[in-house]
Amino acid sequence: MDETRLPTLEVEERIPAPNLLEQMTPIRLIEGLASLTTGYTPDPGQEQKEPTYYDYPVLKQPVWGWEIIWYFFFGGLAAGCYVIASLAALFGSHQDRATARTGYYLSLLALLPCPALLIKDLGRPERFLNMLRMFKVKSPMSMGVWGLLSFSAFSGITAVIQAARDGLLGAWWGARWLARLPQRAIAAPGAFFATFLGGYTGVLLAATSVPLWSRSKLLGGVFISSALSTSSALIGLVLRIFGVPGRALRKLERLEWTALLVEMAGLLAFLRTSGRAARPLVGTAPGERGRTFWGTVFGGGLALPWLLQTSSLIGRKSTQRKTGRGLLISLLVLVGGYFLRKTMIEAGHASSKDARTTLWNARPGK
Amino acid sequence: MNMLEVLRPLRKEPVPPTQAAMGFFTDTSLCIGCKACEIACKQWNQLPAETPHWQGSSYDNTGQLSARTWRHVQFIEQVGRRRPGVTIEEQIAEARNNGDIPQVAPGTALPFFNSERWLMHSDVCKHCVNAPCLEACPTGAIIRTEFDTVYVQQDICNGCGYCVVACPFGVIARDEQGDRQAHKCTLCYDRLKDGIEPACAKACPTDSIQFGEVTQLKARARNRLWELHRRGVSEARLYGEDEKILEGGLNSFFLLLDRPEVYNLPEQPTRPAKNVAPASFWTIVAATVLGLLGMLFFKDEE
Repeated sequence: MDETRLPTLEVEERIPAPNLLEQMTPIRLIEGLASLTTGYTPDPGQEQKEPTYYDYPVLKQPVWGWEIIWYFFFGGLAAGCYVIASLAALFGSHQDRATARTGYYLSLLALLPCPALLIKDLGRPERFLNMLRMFKVKSPMSMGVWGLLSFSAFSGITAVIQAARDGLLGAWWGARWLARLPQRAIAAPGAFFATFLGGYTGVLLAATSVPLWSRSKLLGGVFISSALSTSSALIGLVLRIFGVPGRALRKLERLEWTALLVEMAGLLAFLRTSGRAARPLVGTAPGERGRTFWGTVFGGGLALPWLLQTSSLIGRKSTQRKTGRGLLISLLVLVGGYFLRKTMIEAGHASSKDARTTLWNARPGK
Repeated sequence: MNMLEVLRPLRKEPVPPTQAAMGFFTDTSLCIGCKACEIACKQWNQLPAETPHWQGSSYDNTGQLSARTWRHVQFIEQVGRRRPGVTIEEQIAEARNNGDIPQVAPGTALPFFNSERWLMHSDVCKHCVNAPCLEACPTGAIIRTEFDTVYVQQDICNGCGYCVVACPFGVIARDEQGDRQAHKCTLCYDRLKDGIEPACAKACPTDSIQFGEVTQLKARARNRLWELHRRGVSEARLYGEDEKILEGGLNSFFLLLDRPEVYNLPEQPTRPAKNVAPASFWTIVAATVLGLLGMLFFKDEE
């Protein structure tokens, strides 16, 4: 039971001692950002006065690890790629066909590892079918299972139709029949289930007792925005590699720019409404993920690519695309999207260990 | 035959007739910290021992409720401790001023009336009326029994871990060293079926742990509280006896001698399931905004 060893008194650790590290500007910058965005500046003296039982955790730590982080990332990509492909297929012109085609293929590709990751994450993987015993509206995990199952059907059939139309399945009668299926009519309900898959993960985390995940109710909005920003980045990346002309890319870039903007606004609102509970995500104390969050997620994965995108959307007049910059933006957004999930899950672990904030979170009127 | 084995979890069993709601009333004012409840629970439920750790903070070397520990006795030592940033002289002067150190003439016996005390508390699953673990469980492994208790069906649980993060008390846990399924107090469902009281209540030498019908226990708890208040123990209070906690109260409730937070009990946790609606709403808002804009972007012919 060594892994579950409880922390002993953490009095000394919780009171920041003035040291050399504290004087370094990046940490002060992160701390400043953390206080500004959450509206809460840690007051160790005050927190120390709050009663708790030797700072032993009130909550049990989540049992979720890397499988769930990758599932959230791939699930977001599968959902976002499907939504974008459907938007392109339903509302776009002939030049957006490449976007739709790429999106449908990528959606299925990103979806393939998801069931395996989810089953691997179970304590008893051989019992995964028990998930289908219930249809429980109250439980986001039960709804998620059904949503994922339904979306898999849509994603699969749409990608197969696409493959048949692209001639990847040959010219036999089955392929010809598949190619004639109404892909656009299937895409509309499919996009609904895709949106569900992209957003329910945030709702699932919000419907827990972990202060970081549940205090603000905005995590679902952040996750669905991130699903769309990472997916437009991924589709853009593939289109650029295959050298698709600029017009289709420009629509994608606008969508990416907007999704990044909504995601940043959502994250800032999330931090503000979480207040003290968001500290494990944005702070710099031991166990807190502020460096990764501000550096890789918010700075490198959202603000920087958004600014680069802004400048290329404004500055560009010629149809000649700057491929290098586009690739860089896509990569930054994808890495940022992955680290958003990673820091959110890891900071959730830290949040559930913090007895004082858990108790503060459960105080009436707080 | 093999096929039938596979389908067995899907079979709906007949529901036993509902009985009176059963629960625990854990009166911490009577607890002496003997840990008999911990041991009785382990013995009856055949729970493996955990490696004890010297926590260095109290006589509590169990530390927490876990998948293998369903009763946990806390030792809250409210004795004067050095506070960081305050000198010992200042602390002594302060204690003299507010009466913590009584004024006695030199040469008299050592003062033994002081504010220092040990609070003992046998923590257990609260068997919430609106149980977050039950609401979260996607497989239906966690059920409400005919005794209105919350029970994990071990043949159904697949160890998804959602109940672990749902519980606001940190009770239910996944047994990572064992079968990797969720475990917690069953309120001795097997003993209840045979009409005998749970092992911990049976073993408790001071009747700090009382078992019975919830309505009777609540009446008894209110009497006990009134009696304690009459005797001057004004800090006594009930936790989970009314319907404030999780909108329905707890079938396993407590009499405490200090604020709930002193016992690591959240003062008024909310039901995680209540977040589903607002969280879904904001997800739909974000999705609608981005969907409509995406529609416009793709329609746009330059």
